Amino acid sequence: MARISELEASLRPPAMDMPLYPPKAITLASGEQMVVRQVERDEVPILLEAIYPLLWVERDFYDIVAARLFGELLAYKRYRVKDEYVLVGLIDGVLAGMVNGRLVDEKTGMSYHTLTIRRGLRVGSHLFAAKMEYHIEHCGQEEVLIVAESPIGFRRWMIEYPLEKRFEVQHELGGVPSWVLPRDTYYGAKPRLVSGRRPVAEELLRGAERIVLPREETVVRQVAGDKEETE
Amino acid sequence: MKPVYIVGAGMTKFGRSEWSLIKLASVASLAALRHANLGDVPVDSVVVANMGAARVNRQTALGSALVDQLALYPAMAEAVENGPASGASAFKVGCQAIASGMASAVLVTGVERMRVVNGLEGTDFVASLSQPEVEYIYGVTLPSLAGMFARLFMDRFGVERKHLAMIAIKNHENGTKNPYAHIQQTVTMEGILTAPEAAVNNPPIAEPLHLFDCCPVSDGAASLVLVSEEVAAKLAGPKVRVAGIGQATDTHAVHEREDPTDLKAVRIASERAFSMAGATPRDVDVAELHDAFTILEIAESEAAGFFDRGGAHLAIERGETRLDGALPINPSGGLKAKGHPVGATGVAQLVELAWQLRGEAGERQVKGAKTAYACNFGGFGNNVVATVLRREET
Amino acid sequence: MSDTVYGAKCTSCGTVNYPMRAVCRSCRNETFEPIEICGEGKVLTYTDVYALAIDYETRYLRLAIVELDDGIRATGQLLDDDPKLGKRVKTTLGVVRDRGDAPILGLQFIPI
Repeated sequence: MARISELEASLRPPAMDMPLYPPKAITLASGEQMVVRQVERDEVPILLEAIYPLLWVERDFYDIVAARLFGELLAYKRYRVKDEYVLVGLIDGVLAGMVNGRLVDEKTGMSYHTLTIRRGLRVGSHLFAAKMEYHIEHCGQEEVLIVAESPIGFRRWMIEYPLEKRFEVQHELGGVPSWVLPRDTYYGAKPRLVSGRRPVAEELLRGAERIVLPREETVVRQVAGDKEETE
Repeated sequence: MKPVYIVGAGMTKFGRSEWSLIKLASVASLAALRHANLGDVPVDSVVVANMGAARVNRQTALGSALVDQLALYPAMAEAVENGPASGASAFKVGCQAIASGMASAVLVTGVERMRVVNGLEGTDFVASLSQPEVEYIYGVTLPSLAGMFARLFMDRFGVERKHLAMIAIKNHENGTKNPYAHIQQTVTMEGILTAPEAAVNNPPIAEPLHLFDCCPVSDGAASLVLVSEEVAAKLAGPKVRVAGIGQATDTHAVHEREDPTDLKAVRIASERAFSMAGATPRDVDVAELHDAFTILEIAESEAAGFFDRGGAHLAIERGETRLDGALPINPSGGLKAKGHPVGATGVAQLVELAWQLRGEAGERQVKGAKTAYACNFGGFGNNVVATVLRREET
Repeated sequence: MSDTVYGAKCTSCGTVNYPMRAVCRSCRNETFEPIEICGEGKVLTYTDVYALAIDYETRYLRLAIVELDDGIRATGQLLDDDPKLGKRVKTTLGVVRDRGDAPILGLQFIPI
């Protein structure tokens, strides 16, 4: 690792020992295989490029999620957020979605965002579950604090896991009242909501080594609906 | 009754639309009118099919609104509401105008723009078709009625989830051949049923029905131009005759049905349609059924007379209802993949069949299709409209 | 708020119309007397429905159609952890929906 100046070091948060998320493969409804894996800092630029067109898509709160995620990804890359992780879902190497969060301390995780690019295949559900799996099973945490920008999307998780109110705690995302997924609830929900196979077959893993950008027109069309509709 | 002909058919792509309700209706209408190429024959009447505009879009009097958008005054106009069977009911009203001699050219357009409200509001809105005192108050939704029907039907006739999955897979595949279909995505048996991940990919909606047994919520519009024999004679192009229409009702509350696994209204409506057409189910070359839930494709195909009771799922196993099978069902992708803008669906089924009979169905073409059947299922089977169309050689 | 669920028993032929209606579905008579919908019966069919309206915050609702011993059929909420087709149940009353302004009482079925 390159030597960094004392000043730069003082601007970086101290880092915990965070385990690497072990990649897994998920069979989607289409029969396609999605590889879920963690990203490295040098992969952030391509993620930024992928979500950039979504900054102006108001529908389903994509604009605010994309904007906040953009900042969080940059902060992760430039060492300005404490203990952040980013997981991506890749189908044939093409970016299908991403999730991120950070470890507040050993006991508590802070879930940030879930962004789905390839819609209609429950990619968001799979990735959100992978995120919870990371906090609780791999980092050994007791609970994860969660909020969301979209009320309808959030309501589904709120009811499905289910999540508990922890309203006295302000979530980092705008200070809104937090919900929490405790460890026990995670394990209770796991058979229903968490899936995937490990280890990932070598060929599949190799195909997921390099993140491929989805075509911009596909991304915006999928999330925002058809702009120019056929007659 | 005077003969009625379909001479124009058009639709918008189904899915999520940024267009307003009336713009959707206009686009589909203009496509059908262009297809019909009426020349200087005026449109006498406009019939709009729609279920939710008053509640979901805060708009009423759609017949008048569409006349204005298309500058068709002083044509007759009204909207028809019959829940999910609004489309075929509006079509019936249009046919009656011509059959009675009251009109010579009628535009029938079905339209729905539901995605302006969220899923919860949408579910509740559709649930408003249930019986208020003995169903709705219990949290009954349309999927719950389908789920209860499915459990009993599957238990009685040995239908399994894999048969439902076969229908979803078939209709999704057909949908990818339909540029107007909402869902352009194939699915596999592994992905939706057999893989361990299927539990997340295909979660329960109303057991035993899962996500991929239920059609999506869609925006869209579909339109037909109907004319009298005199007008049809003046136009070029293949002649699609409305050979028969049948409609029947049943009890409102599903629990009051005589046999809760029997779609009696489908049976009676189909018998009436076939009788008027002088045809039998065996004459049918291609069919569009109302698969709001995959189980309904099975149950309707039996009630309509295509298979014996308890025989449809076996025919599906043999591949008989695929595009290349003996009786292709839902070549358009059905409600499952084409989508279900509620008021538009009944009209869209007939648009597909008109294209099929005219040889204009592209990759989905059923070769030599001459007789077609559609079933538009209103309420939860308590109001059904069945139609038989026939290509006439000029 | 009523604390009983009623059907309409035709004064002419005795058919119980549930839901109530203006004209008897058997004999077309137009007068009825109220009759309580209650008793024991068997589960005709049931479902666990997850796609719920906004009034409900549970993950799913277990609904059933029950055929009571007197022949009347009814829809309601099934409070049974081990539901089976044909299982014997009896009716009870409980809050089945709450739109925020007033809770609605309705039929629930519990195992006998």
